[in-house]
Amino acid sequence: MIPSREFPVNLSWLLFMLALGLLPLVLQSNYIISVMLMVALFGVLSIGMGLLLGQAGMFSLAHPTWFGLGAYIAAILSVRGLTSPLLGIFIAALCVAVLSWLIGAPILRLRGFYLANATFAMVVIAQIAAGQLPKLTGGHEGLLGIPYLTIGGFVFKKDLHFYYLSWTLCIACFWFCSNLMNARLGRAIRSFHDNESASSSLGVNIPRYKLQIFVLTAVMASLSGSLFCFYLRFVTPESFGFPLLVELIMMVIIGGIESIRGALLGSFVVLWLTEFIHAYLGKVLPAMTGEVDAIFFGVLIILVLIFMPRGLIGWVEPILNFSRRRDERL
Amino acid sequence: MTLLSQTIQYALSGVTTGSIYAIVGICWSTVFLISGVLNFTTGEFAMLGGMLTWAYANAGMSLGLATGLAIVTSILVAALLERVVINPVRYPSETTYMLITIAAASVIKGIILLTYGTDARRIRPFLEIEPINIFGATLVPQVLVVLGVLVAVTLFLWLFFNHTLFGKALRASSINQIGASLIGIEIGRFRLFCFALAGALGAISGIAFAPISFTGYNLGFMVGVKGLVVAIVGGWTIAGTVAAGLALGLVEGFAAGYISTGWKDAIALSVMILFLVLQTVDLRKKFRKLQP
Repeated sequence: MIPSREFPVNLSWLLFMLALGLLPLVLQSNYIISVMLMVALFGVLSIGMGLLLGQAGMFSLAHPTWFGLGAYIAAILSVRGLTSPLLGIFIAALCVAVLSWLIGAPILRLRGFYLANATFAMVVIAQIAAGQLPKLTGGHEGLLGIPYLTIGGFVFKKDLHFYYLSWTLCIACFWFCSNLMNARLGRAIRSFHDNESASSSLGVNIPRYKLQIFVLTAVMASLSGSLFCFYLRFVTPESFGFPLLVELIMMVIIGGIESIRGALLGSFVVLWLTEFIHAYLGKVLPAMTGEVDAIFFGVLIILVLIFMPRGLIGWVEPILNFSRRRDERL
Repeated sequence: MTLLSQTIQYALSGVTTGSIYAIVGICWSTVFLISGVLNFTTGEFAMLGGMLTWAYANAGMSLGLATGLAIVTSILVAALLERVVINPVRYPSETTYMLITIAAASVIKGIILLTYGTDARRIRPFLEIEPINIFGATLVPQVLVVLGVLVAVTLFLWLFFNHTLFGKALRASSINQIGASLIGIEIGRFRLFCFALAGALGAISGIAFAPISFTGYNLGFMVGVKGLVVAIVGGWTIAGTVAAGLALGLVEGFAAGYISTGWKDAIALSVMILFLVLQTVDLRKKFRKLQP
C-alpha cells in the first residue's frame, strides 16, 4: 500500500492521538468532554462535506438529511424494540446507503449550483416530512425514550463512554478518507474536480465515482447521526435542518475547504467558538443566545472567504508538519 | 362553502402567493443574469421590506412615508451588501458567491431578530375597502395591490431592459463580462445597480404581501427558496418566471387546500427537484434508442 500523505504514522499524529486519549483523564470536566465529543461527531460530518465540496467539487448540501436519517432510523428501530441499538445503527447505515444511491443516481447528473439547489430542497423536504409524520417520528415534539446504546453487554451511559466511541468513529473515518484520497477513487475525484472533460477523456468514469463518494459520505454522516441520537437520547426535526447545514458550511469554510484535516479543525474551532460566544456574549446580550452566533458566524464566513480562501488550515498546516523532513513537506 | 367557491378561494390565495414568488424570482434572475452571482439574500429583502415598513409605521410615520423609507433603506442595505461583501472577493467562483450570500442572509436575519424580536407583525392594508365577494369566495382588496405590483414590476423591467440604453447595456455586458470590462465598462458598477434594483423589488414585494399574511424575521428564507425555484423553472427570463411563479402559487394553493398545509412546501420543492432532474435527461434521444 502506498503510504498516505495526510495520515502518516508520524510524530505529530501520535501526539494528537495521545492528547485526545489523555484529555478526559487530565481534565476531568464533563463540560469539556461533552463538547469534544460533539467535535468528533460533527467532525465526521464536516470531513464528508469537505470531501464533496472541496476535493470532488460536488456542491451537495444533502448532509444534514443523511445525518438525520441515520439518527431517526436507528432511534425508531430501537424505540419500537425491533432491533438492538447496535444493530439499528448498521441497519440505518445500510438504509442510508441504499437511499443515497437511489437519490444520487439521478440527482448527481446536475452540476454546480443546480445540484446545490436540488440537495438543499431535499434537506427542507426531509425536515418537513419528519415533522409531518407524527406517528412514525414523533412529529415536532421529537422522539423520546431512546434506549441506551449497548455493545457486547457494555452500556454507554456517560459522556466519557461516548467521547471515546465518537472519537474512534471520527479517527476511523479520517483515516479511511485520507487513504481513500490517495487510492484510485481519490485520484479520480481530484482529477474531475479540476477538469471534468479532461479526466473523462482519460477514461475516468465520472458518474460512477461521483456516486461512490456520495454514498460513502452519506454513510459516514448516517453513522455519526446514529451515535448522536443515542448520545442525546432525543431527536427532533429541528436538529437536521438549515441551521445544521449552515454550521457544516461554516466548519468546512473556516477550517479549509481543500483538506480533510481542515474540516476536522473547522469542527473544533466552530463548536468551541459557539461555546465561547454563548458563555461571554450571553452576559452582554442576555436576551439572545442562539441567534447571536448567526450574526457572528455569518460575518466570520464572509471574512474568511474574502481574506483567507484556504481557511485556517493554511496557517496550521506548517505546525502539523513539524516532524517531517523538509523535502517531504513539498 | 360549495366546491366552486372553495376552488376559487384556493386559486385566489395561490395567485397571490404566486405573484410574490414571481417578483422574488425576477429579483434572483436580475442579479444572476447580469452579474453571475446567485444572491441568497434575495428572500431576506422581502422580509426586510415588510419588517421595516412595520417598524417605521410603528414609530409614528404615515403608511406612505414608512413604505418609501423602507424601500430606500432596503436599497441602501443591498448596495452596502454588494460593496462590502461581494465586491472584495478575490477569487470569485459560483461556490464562493453562494456561500458568502448565505452567510450574509443569516446576518441580516439575525440583526432583524435582535432589533425587532421574534413576534409576527402585520401592517395596515393599503386599500381601505370592503372585501369583494366572487361566487362565495372572498377577495381581500390587498390581493389587487399585489397583482398590480406584479404587473407594474414586469412592465417596468420589460421597458427598462428592452427600451432604454442603460438596460440594453446591462444585458449586453452580461453576455461576456470579461469582454465588457476589456472595453472599459465597469462591471462592478453594473453589479451594484443590479443589487440595488433587486433590493428595491424584493422590498416592494414584501411590503405588498405584508398586510395579507403576517411578516416576521423568518419569512425571508422560504420566500427566497421559492423565488429561486421559480427563477430556475422559468429559465431565468421575466415572462417565464412570472408564468412559473403563478403556476407554483396555484399548485401550492390547491395542495394546501386539498391535501395538507404542512406538505405544501415539500410538494413545491419536489416539483423543482423533478424539474431539474428531468432537464438533464434528453427524452428524444432515449426514444430514438428504443426504436429499432
